[in-house]
Amino acid sequence: MTGKTGKIISGLVLLAALLLLPHLLQYHHQDLLIFLTINVLVVASYRIVTLTGEWSLIHAVMMGVGGYTATLAFKQFELGMWFTLPLAGIVAAAIAALLCFPLFRMTQFYFLIGSFAAGEAIRLCWIQFVNPFGGTGGLSGVEPPLIGNIDFLEPVPYYYLTLVVVGMCLFILHRIEKSRIGLILHSVHWNSPLAESVGVDTWRYRALAFIIGSFFVGVAGGLKVHYLGTITPNQFGVGFMVFILIWVIVGGYNRFYGPVIGVVVLTLFDESIRSLEELRPAIYGAVLIASILFLPQGLESIPTRIRRLFSRKPENDSSPSNK
Amino acid sequence: MELVIQSIINGLIQGGFFALFAVGLVLIFGVMGVVNFAHGELVMIGAYTIWLVHAQYGFPYLPTLLLAIVLVMGIGLLMERFLFRPTRSDPLAGLICSIGVLFILQVVATLIGGDGPSKQVPPPLDGTLVVLEFIRIPYQRLFGLGVSALALLTLWYFLTRTRLGWALRAVALDREAAALQGININVISFIAIGVGAGLAGLAGGLMAPLTNINPHMGHNVIITAFIVTIVGGVGSLSGAVYAAIIYALFHTFVTVYLGGTVATICGLILMVLVLIVRPTGIMGVRVSE
Amino acid sequence: MGFTRRDILRASVAGAFATGATALPTQLLAANKTVKIGMNIPMTGDYAPWGLPGLYGCEIVANNINTAGGVKIGGDTYNIEMVAYDHGYDTEKAVQGYKKLVLQDEVKMVMMLGGSTVASVLPWAQRRKMLTTTLLPSDITPESEYLVATCESHPLYNVTGVEYLKAKYPDAKTAAIVTNNDAEYGLQSAATYKAAFEVAGIDVVDVNLHGFDITDFAPIVSSVLAKNPDIFCMATSFYVTPLMEQLYHQGFKGKIISCTLDYYDEIIAKTSREFVDGTIFQFPDFDDPALNDPGVNFPNPGDFDAKYRAAHPNDWSAVSWEYPAILLNWLEGAKAAASVDPTAVLKALRSAKNPEFVFGGGQWWGSQLWGLDNAVVGRWPVVVVENGKARIQEYRSVSGWLEKNKDVLIKHMKELGLRTV
Repeated sequence: MTGKTGKIISGLVLLAALLLLPHLLQYHHQDLLIFLTINVLVVASYRIVTLTGEWSLIHAVMMGVGGYTATLAFKQFELGMWFTLPLAGIVAAAIAALLCFPLFRMTQFYFLIGSFAAGEAIRLCWIQFVNPFGGTGGLSGVEPPLIGNIDFLEPVPYYYLTLVVVGMCLFILHRIEKSRIGLILHSVHWNSPLAESVGVDTWRYRALAFIIGSFFVGVAGGLKVHYLGTITPNQFGVGFMVFILIWVIVGGYNRFYGPVIGVVVLTLFDESIRSLEELRPAIYGAVLIASILFLPQGLESIPTRIRRLFSRKPENDSSPSNK
Repeated sequence: MELVIQSIINGLIQGGFFALFAVGLVLIFGVMGVVNFAHGELVMIGAYTIWLVHAQYGFPYLPTLLLAIVLVMGIGLLMERFLFRPTRSDPLAGLICSIGVLFILQVVATLIGGDGPSKQVPPPLDGTLVVLEFIRIPYQRLFGLGVSALALLTLWYFLTRTRLGWALRAVALDREAAALQGININVISFIAIGVGAGLAGLAGGLMAPLTNINPHMGHNVIITAFIVTIVGGVGSLSGAVYAAIIYALFHTFVTVYLGGTVATICGLILMVLVLIVRPTGIMGVRVSE
Repeated sequence: MGFTRRDILRASVAGAFATGATALPTQLLAANKTVKIGMNIPMTGDYAPWGLPGLYGCEIVANNINTAGGVKIGGDTYNIEMVAYDHGYDTEKAVQGYKKLVLQDEVKMVMMLGGSTVASVLPWAQRRKMLTTTLLPSDITPESEYLVATCESHPLYNVTGVEYLKAKYPDAKTAAIVTNNDAEYGLQSAATYKAAFEVAGIDVVDVNLHGFDITDFAPIVSSVLAKNPDIFCMATSFYVTPLMEQLYHQGFKGKIISCTLDYYDEIIAKTSREFVDGTIFQFPDFDDPALNDPGVNFPNPGDFDAKYRAAHPNDWSAVSWEYPAILLNWLEGAKAAASVDPTAVLKALRSAKNPEFVFGGGQWWGSQLWGLDNAVVGRWPVVVVENGKARIQEYRSVSGWLEKNKDVLIKHMKELGLRTV
């Protein structure tokens, strides 16, 4: 391990690369880069929910809650993006807080199904109530901000904006995980009776993780709708939820950067097999199955595995199980 | 009044189909502890089999129905052997694997049928039974109801009157204890998923002439199956059957009076309510932790 | 009922490997320039029937022009190249595809289906001054200068079917409308039918709006038929087949009117020829002799139909001829402008007093409803199934109806919560 200076240097190199990246890409790939950056926030915020060991299936819908909030705030109340983004997060967090009461009476399988049902119910409401949600066709006409003569509809400025917002959110998420709260969340996951016996109210911390995760994915939804200009219920269906799961699981969820690696690698992979069009979901499915069977710790475990291979240390692998 | 009677009949027929795939899902979950997210896609493959072999190549309906059952059963057995068995220690891994299968099966269906409009299968049984001049039941639907009922009765007999059925229920109740009694878990798992997938194939085959067939039709099926499973109680097969009928009637009536999307929203809310108030469902038993 | 799945497969695989770029003419004349026309459409997924068949149709028209030596625009002779991008009716992909077509392929016009996918590219159409077309005039906004609907004016033409029905069957007094509840296709169409029925003096006894998650249509049809309507009206085409099947089984005896009746031979297979006969809808087959009417602006429809059915025997849908008709409109505009520049073509198109409309009688319209006169309305055919074959009965004027009754239409659009100016 290198020291602090090494970390700073590699951080600066990464930053420079991120800043240069859009200038090396074609126009429609710049769009892809923006969506990828937003998806990084989606998976990072999902990780905080999974820290307590609960796998929710409502995360994609929470992103939609943020997106619809930003859309309605922009269109109905003519609020700018500086207001709609935090508002998107707050409303998503508030709805998450309300849902905590029914959802966290359940655990494991029941929580999984319960969160799925609650999410579908919300999504179907967007379809059912044409006013104000626009029904199946959704809503359109959301615009990115215009500051001076910087037009954020152009991909490069919007990418930088996204980078700043997502960077800030990731920083906060990272701090939360490393804080006392983060440690408690871990303890709730690994041994919830023990945590309870030392006075941790597990219900409260599971709910807290869910609310924090929903806040940040709500912000991500706001970011997306301001660039895309339109929002439809189908963007946040079970299909997108499954992609979030795939990114997190293939990337690995034991470390903060695992899901980020997952979403970046798989997005690049997805773009590289673009010519296969219809076959793509099947290839995704196969990758998912293969990673579960052969790489249960995710991509992030590869360096460790290689290191182990060379140092020939005995494996003391403790595979995380949700049982 | 006529509308009420007609709706009850429509609901009962739907209930038969719901029960077929919900019971399969419960069986697989009960015995193997895996939520099979690809269950809707198994139904879809059953329907595609009918479309391809019966409607396209003119093979008679009944043998094709049998073929659909066998084919989907085969897919189920492969899933158990290569996906669920290696991941048995981690239920989440099994669930994720079944999502992978879901994607693959959808692509298979797209490759077979192509994109474009939903596929249609002309009903093998033409005509409509008219009772008292206002109740009208197409023979094809009547046939579907009869076959569903027969299949469920057979399953009930198998589970309650045969040694294998007892073994299966024992595993569902407590896997470790059953294993200690000398029951071979692998064999029982094969039977559970074979029966569950076979019922899904049958449901798909029966529904094929009555519905729009497309690669995404499994989505509604799995939502329905989840609702029915939760309302009926996760561990309970008879609960699933009752819940299927109750939910189908509920859904039909809400559809008639308030609209289809409202019906699904109400169903989902009902499910969350059941989860809160009575997590074991209406007929639930406490499953082993 | 041979559904040629191999055909669809081949098409989709071909589309896949070309990544959207379907370069056509091989007999390029050396002297000819090439003008690229973009199609940002759904070629896979649920909406594919309203995208892919249009590409097939455009390929035939482009091929006809290219083999005849190209088209003279200004001083140059051009060959036409279609460039297609499949967005699968996903807004994210629609934006990416639009940028690829405009910035990378440098197309001179982008044809699209409509709805949320069009809404998401509108800012770009304005910014890049790119001529963009839609099949849904309801996509037009007061700012959408570069968006035109020159062919299909969904759902305004539905009024012609109702007028025909009223004239032919004056005894039909009540109607029920069934449609999916989306604001892009279903509600627009439902509002138009409501207005048309009101004008015709027919009572609407039920409006059943259902979602896209319906697997069983029996309860819906039962509840509608319980109101005893004389006319059963289907406002959009997603679920026409299962609805017709239920009507057949539940013994409906009244008149059926529908916006579309795509793949009607499949409906006949599921019901009976006698039952489907007499159904009124709006989209002709192109082997219809009535298309030789002098008012129709589509060169040699019979030849187009024959070529189409030879190449894609089972993929005929409402859009098969609509995108080609838009392509033909563009050619007229480009010839008039003596340029392929999108702004010049748009100007030429918009300044035509009597724009060439596929069924004739066209005029620019739309400002009263959507804020800009960027949609062409004109005559539209009323089609009825006779002995298992769709046949045009007559042409009726949509613009004439709108002139007299637009206020009724606006009232019903507002009632269903749809955007009007």
